[in-house]
Amino acid sequence: MSHLFNHSGAENTGYSQPQGLASVNEPSIPKGLLRQQSARWPRLSEPEMVRHYTWLSKRNFGIDTGFYPLGSCTMKHNPRVNEVIAQLPGIADIHPHQPEHHLQGLLSIFYEMQHMLEVCAGMDQVTLQPVAGAQGEFTAIRCIQEYFRQRGETQRTKVIVPDSAHGTNPASAAMCGFEIVEIPSLADGRMDLAALAAVADETTAAMMITNPNTLGLFEADIKEASQIVHDAGGQMYYDGANFNAILGITSPGLMGFDAVHFNLHKTFSQPHGGGGPGSGPIGVKSQLAPFLPGPLAARRSPTAQESSSAVDEYWYHWHQPEHSIGKVQQWHGNAGAVIRCWAYYRRYGNGLKTMSEHAVLNANYLRHAIHREAKKEGVSHLFVDGAETDVAKHEFTLSMQPAKEALGISAMDVAKGLLDKGYMAPTVYFPLVVPECMMIEPTETESKDTLDTFAEQFVQVLQTDAETLHAAPVTTPVRRVDEVYAARNLCLRHPFEDAE
Amino acid sequence: MDSITDPLGEMNVMVDQLPNRGREAEMLQSMGLETMEDLFVDIPSEVRFKDELPLRGPQSEEEIIADARRLLGSNVAMGGRPSFIGAGLYRNYVPAAVFQLVTRGEFLTAYTPYQPEVSQGMLQAMWEFQTLISELVGLPVANLSLYDGSTAAAEALTCAVRVHNRKATQANTVYVSELIPPDKMSVMENYCQGAEIVIKTLKHHDDGTLNLDELKLAAGSCGVYLEQPNPLGILDEGLITVKDIIGANTALIVGVQPISLGIVEAPGHYGADIVVGEGQPLGSPVTGGGPLYGIFACTKTYLRLMPGRIVGRSIDVDGKEAYCLTLSTREQHIRRHRATSNICTNETLIALMGAMHMALLGPDGLRDLAHRNLAACQCAKEILASTKGIELVHAAHHFNEFSIRVPGSAKDCLAYLDENGIIGGFDLTTWYPQYNDQILVTATDQTSLRDIEALSAQLAMWSMHQGVSA
Repeated sequence: MSHLFNHSGAENTGYSQPQGLASVNEPSIPKGLLRQQSARWPRLSEPEMVRHYTWLSKRNFGIDTGFYPLGSCTMKHNPRVNEVIAQLPGIADIHPHQPEHHLQGLLSIFYEMQHMLEVCAGMDQVTLQPVAGAQGEFTAIRCIQEYFRQRGETQRTKVIVPDSAHGTNPASAAMCGFEIVEIPSLADGRMDLAALAAVADETTAAMMITNPNTLGLFEADIKEASQIVHDAGGQMYYDGANFNAILGITSPGLMGFDAVHFNLHKTFSQPHGGGGPGSGPIGVKSQLAPFLPGPLAARRSPTAQESSSAVDEYWYHWHQPEHSIGKVQQWHGNAGAVIRCWAYYRRYGNGLKTMSEHAVLNANYLRHAIHREAKKEGVSHLFVDGAETDVAKHEFTLSMQPAKEALGISAMDVAKGLLDKGYMAPTVYFPLVVPECMMIEPTETESKDTLDTFAEQFVQVLQTDAETLHAAPVTTPVRRVDEVYAARNLCLRHPFEDAE
Repeated sequence: MDSITDPLGEMNVMVDQLPNRGREAEMLQSMGLETMEDLFVDIPSEVRFKDELPLRGPQSEEEIIADARRLLGSNVAMGGRPSFIGAGLYRNYVPAAVFQLVTRGEFLTAYTPYQPEVSQGMLQAMWEFQTLISELVGLPVANLSLYDGSTAAAEALTCAVRVHNRKATQANTVYVSELIPPDKMSVMENYCQGAEIVIKTLKHHDDGTLNLDELKLAAGSCGVYLEQPNPLGILDEGLITVKDIIGANTALIVGVQPISLGIVEAPGHYGADIVVGEGQPLGSPVTGGGPLYGIFACTKTYLRLMPGRIVGRSIDVDGKEAYCLTLSTREQHIRRHRATSNICTNETLIALMGAMHMALLGPDGLRDLAHRNLAACQCAKEILASTKGIELVHAAHHFNEFSIRVPGSAKDCLAYLDENGIIGGFDLTTWYPQYNDQILVTATDQTSLRDIEALSAQLAMWSMHQGVSA
């Protein structure tokens, strides 16, 4: 084990600083504010620090390490040129409060990204400010809330979510102050229009739903659902977590939605970074546009004076929506993430549809390959599809309930068995509507060979005896981690007291 | 060749990202399908795009990077000229090792560590981050980051209400310094309005320090949010007495510039219950205002009602040291609409950059870095104080930044400086419309004496143009 707080190799610091201005004057601060005890940080030389973090990195699994079929997270390859671009001084070393003529390049890229997302989603106006998907949800629901307040429809206090929704949906709506109405899904995992019709009324502000849904199925009745909600006077909100399946094929706008968030870290390959940063722009139809957080990037013809600093035939500028809800992040959102995703978009351009087709091709191919392989090896009775369907979209679900009943092998056991085979495990136990659920999303950047091998290995795991699987994983840096112990014996920081 | 069936020959440039280009037919056939279209039969035609997306064509990597260099090259980078703009984000040197290590694919391309057995690296790094932050701010608990300083402050207010509301004599009420920038205040308002939290403001004296007499009004509320240094860069000694005034049942929430804590007392040591802040100066470039990372630390009182992810140290089945996410029952994926926050994806990678920077600095390095920032600010103050026509607005101790009063309007003065190749600072009219002749001038460890002298010379020229006599 390498422990940061056990290192004390450096006399002083791992980064020796120039004296600079510290040598020309003797700074002072109020006496009562002088720090009495310094932070008990470690003292590492640079070589020790580099080795510690390299050691840690080797104990971590990323897409670069291997296949990462984590359903609902769209773990696609992150093109490396995007990282190079994000380090250019024209993005890394700019301040959001610099004047517009210092930021023409940034503004033009923001404008291009707003426009691209508007086109792909069928929305009238996009803001790039929200910094994560959940914040995008929160922002859009806030806009809907202000829209109804301005119309005097303050009785609209409820937001409808299906029981298969991501947890962020109800959490975001609740943060805005809405009451949550959860509607059950049908037995096949699809939305229940009758249940929706029964709850949609003059108290409905919005319905939040993702399509394809969390089972990876396209909700063919989506226009009817939009109609029901609109007839009740509510707004339709599209959770863009599963947007990777439909680019260039259909759009939330065509399905009747009024607002949508995008997870740029899913669909547009901002690296997930072990849990962020993300970027969660939202797009809205014109009736909600005046409420968006500002500023937005806009453009017009340059004046004679402006043309010298213009990057092309346009002059780009910030624009404040008329009835803006204000801000959800202090600056312009995760600009560095937007730049990376712009570079990703440029790679595909109007070929984004091909990207989505390959995402769906790979998911269906893997589903078939797993079933075929299981049949061949005589283990097809150990799992069933999470939902009956001919074609899935970008992801699919399997229920391990039969294996659990027959052999005592749970979805978690299969997940841990897959870790031993050198894979990241699929998402497990989500959505909650499928018992012993495994949610598998291969993405478009995995080769047929990878998918074939994974199908074989998946079936091999199912052929493993229960006892071995209960003990899995055994090849990983640590074996099954005791989460109950962690919660009962809270140790949330280095215990200096014991070490001394 | 697949390209023959391609509607656009140029589509070939994205082959490098799609390993199964050219194998579509084979894959479809194995499923008993013929065309890609067969995969989309479940999408009704009335919701289909009829035409191709009206977007530009695909580009190769070389073309993309050339366009990126052209567009981003037209932005004015702060490092290319004397720059004195800060106002919440600060140019600090981030050592090379941080950038080299953080782009390792095992960190960069992982997601939230839902499978702890193969995520020990990031989990341990974040547990170490929690320790580094905890030590830095002087509080026992820290999470592994929120989005930025503004959302961390906003989440601190709602957290304080969750914890204190039952006993509060001013229920659903929090107090915030009147100096807080409107953009940050707006984030707070958006986060607070759903819980019907009332945000009241706290007055300051003309010298920029907090009015401690009026602070008594905040006693019995759920929380008080103040910053040290405050938004005008002032180090306010009065803050060390705030907790005594507001009492145990009102949370003291302090927003910090983390580098200042190398010299300035940790708020946890003068009674702060929650410390938040913009983590950016430790580990990250300014990056146009994001991605950044929000610091959130607190006492154990707030632990079970705090927002964000937390790593705990545990054991595996062999009793070996191991790390995992813990206290998840606060979070949206378990608690859904009753969660303490909707946050899911946070800013882990930027927090990791922060941890790496902190690990390299060590306690002495942090003190030196704080000293350099303090010294640069003081040097700029001294030189500008003796610059013709320029007045310092507040006689106080400052960290990183201070306000100056200029002849004419701040806006015109900054435009003049810009014409002369200097980013002179931040126009305080943006925050406080009544101060139309004040500029917030920021100096960091990246500010040189030559930069300050250039600013001083140009300010003197400006003053002369404005008719200020020698």
